[in-house]
Amino acid sequence: MTAIALGASHVWKSYGRVQANRDITLAVAPAEIHAIVGENGAGKSTLMRILQGIERPDRGHVIVNDQKTEFSGPAEALACGIGMVHQEFMLAPDLSLLENLVLGDEPVRGRGGPLARIDWAAAEAQGRELADRIGIEVDWHRRSGSAPVHIQQFVEIIRLLRRGTRILILDEPTAVLAPQQVNELFDLLRRIRADGTTILFISHKIREVTALADRVTVIRQGATVFSAALTETSADEIASHIVDGTPPPRAASERGAPGDGVLEVRGLSALSVEKSRQLRDISFTVRAGEIVGLAGVAGNGQVELMEALFGLIRSTGSVHLNGTDLSGLRPDRRRAAGIGFISADRGQEGLALAASIEDNVIAGSQRQPPIGKGWWLSRRALRRVALDRLGRLSVRYGAARDKVSSLSGGNQQRVVFARETAGTPPLLLVSQPTRGVDLNGIAAIHAILLDFRARGGAVLLASEELDELQILSDRILVMVDGRIAGELAADADRGEIGRMMVMEGAA
Amino acid sequence: MTSTLFKTWLERGTGFALPVVIALAVSAVVLLAIGESPLDTFSLILSESFGSARRIASTLSAATPLLFTAVATAICFRAGVFNVGVEGAFLIGGLAAVVAGFSLPASLGWALTPICLAIAAAFGAAWLWLPGWLLARLEVDEVVSTLMLNFIAAAITGYLVNGPFLSAQSGNNVTPPVHEAAELSRLMPPATLHSGFLIGLAILFVYAIWARRTPAGVEGAFVGLNRRFSRAVGISVRHTIILAMVLSGVVAGLGGASHGLGQLYRYTDGFSAGYGFTGMAVALLGRNHPVGMLLGAVLFGALASAGTTIQLFSDIPLDLVNIIQGIVMIFSVVELGRITIRRRARA
Repeated sequence: MTAIALGASHVWKSYGRVQANRDITLAVAPAEIHAIVGENGAGKSTLMRILQGIERPDRGHVIVNDQKTEFSGPAEALACGIGMVHQEFMLAPDLSLLENLVLGDEPVRGRGGPLARIDWAAAEAQGRELADRIGIEVDWHRRSGSAPVHIQQFVEIIRLLRRGTRILILDEPTAVLAPQQVNELFDLLRRIRADGTTILFISHKIREVTALADRVTVIRQGATVFSAALTETSADEIASHIVDGTPPPRAASERGAPGDGVLEVRGLSALSVEKSRQLRDISFTVRAGEIVGLAGVAGNGQVELMEALFGLIRSTGSVHLNGTDLSGLRPDRRRAAGIGFISADRGQEGLALAASIEDNVIAGSQRQPPIGKGWWLSRRALRRVALDRLGRLSVRYGAARDKVSSLSGGNQQRVVFARETAGTPPLLLVSQPTRGVDLNGIAAIHAILLDFRARGGAVLLASEELDELQILSDRILVMVDGRIAGELAADADRGEIGRMMVMEGAA
Repeated sequence: MTSTLFKTWLERGTGFALPVVIALAVSAVVLLAIGESPLDTFSLILSESFGSARRIASTLSAATPLLFTAVATAICFRAGVFNVGVEGAFLIGGLAAVVAGFSLPASLGWALTPICLAIAAAFGAAWLWLPGWLLARLEVDEVVSTLMLNFIAAAITGYLVNGPFLSAQSGNNVTPPVHEAAELSRLMPPATLHSGFLIGLAILFVYAIWARRTPAGVEGAFVGLNRRFSRAVGISVRHTIILAMVLSGVVAGLGGASHGLGQLYRYTDGFSAGYGFTGMAVALLGRNHPVGMLLGAVLFGALASAGTTIQLFSDIPLDLVNIIQGIVMIFSVVELGRITIRRRARA
């Protein structure tokens, strides 16, 4: 009887001076669903890479079926039956689901060799059999790229099972799914477990861990700090281990007192956006002293809506800010009119990571007095304005000349907020404000948003965290397929929000 | 804070010194292989390039065109625009200045030189405005367009110097000499060091100010670091790219003018000994920093001026100097590799 299907024993791994894993010990029993939780940067990904044979530990070793194992590479881990589903799916979007299923290991008719013909009938039979066994339905001839995300994910899982995976690793499998789809995924995983497959999944949502896992291991700052069966622990206990003993912060869920309309959007459509969803006839209003949440499964037009409102992509229809028509204006003019923009992509759009903290926090103001005076730029005024802005949002930093990339995710985001709220604009467009931010940082950013609202600011907030939307928003708009599918109260039932999020083609 | 400052300067220093040290090491191996003493050779190069006032003047004279072409390159590189067309703008500016210098009336007197410089700057600016506009508006890859424009510039100037502007007095393919009033003064006759070197220093100084102390210069740096970020904070990426190209053209054109009016007094076929490309190596070696580029220009100037005399006094072939230059270039291009990676990541 095997005790440990997959495990790690005193694993250490460092990258240069960064100690990513320090003495990690993990034991996943056969046919168990084991959750690994921890903040971003806690060392989860490094551990997964070691378990898959992509990285070798500096010290310690991996355990497979009670045996100490040293992988020479990922192929060997695959041969041991370890397979991983990544956050970004590895399906070829232009091939059918069936083609993706057998890609690289096609069943052939007759003899093999260069002239072998693929036996599609056998391939489809195999696909159906596997799908039946775990109780899902798949339209195998659908193009992968057009299949719903959860179906793509299921096919990815089935593909691994077909190749003999007995130990399945999932990296934040629910990140792209709607609540209903999450439930389907969980049912599927439970059935796979019943079939004898061991499942290791990474998450940072405690709700999911308690719903699905048999056992949980918490990683903090590269070390295992807690491991217990779910029957012997609680959500609060797990949360307290994730964040160094302190309980998870809860933002005040006081609602705002909305005033006059600040942002008026009428009939907004995006003309043609390459490779992304168009926006179709969007109309809504955001009032002063109000946070309007924007919910939706990732990729349903939230990013494009924010970009269209800020002038980063072209759109038709009208956008008014406090009665001023912004239609057709570029970002610099919209910014001047009073819009702050918090990009979902902090590393590539929100900040210039290779630039200094002070340059990042004043970017966009380089032509405005006191920093810019005609042809001249005053470094002294720049420094003074930068320090003032950083101080106002109490950003923690070493020196203002340090690169902004030296800051933690939460402090980086505070730099973005310090810049975008500096001119107290009437409207903030905020996307995924707490992505990659640790729990303490999340509380601080929520406080910044609530404070902005309390001073009469209007906020449009897009987030993939329903909790966040429900804590902060006054009402929630749900986006499906490039249009607003409906509006709900902030305290609406999660199931209702979820149902709206997966509504198809609300034409 | 001081320690951060110290660290950046240390990084810059190693970035500069490493290619040079590696080049010296490889040359030492080559020298040993041909049975020469590396130490003797290096000290000979050193004394030939810096050993006396005359030799220093000759080194600085060779460094002069590189000051211009390095700054012209750096203006674009720091904005993430991979302009390899400085060579072409140098030729165009040089010919424009020389033609103005012999065809405008000599009676203009002292005003002639600044007029010639201004004309050269305008021609250089117009020359590089085109690829800038193509990149900003139509996303035409600037590497391809500027590289091709170099050939066009060489062909146009080659045609003009062999045809319409050919000197009747000379047997070679040269233009008539410029008026004496248009010449840039020699600083230490009989050495060829001329006041174009001072103009080059002034350009370097203005570049340093522009880069850090003007809104446009700071915007250039932002666009070079991250275009999406720049757009999101309201910087016009298009304007910044076109401005970088135009300013690069101005500086390259002035460099050509300095070379034509100060060094040769005329335009000749083979006007530039690849100054645009050596300038690119200087900009990369100096990491676009004014001090680094000054040192880089002097280093390459020293190698060039020592190279011509060194084979008179030893058995060492001139090729050795070319080897050193080549290796410094290769290893300063390691930085260039990083730029291309950034370009790809942005795409």
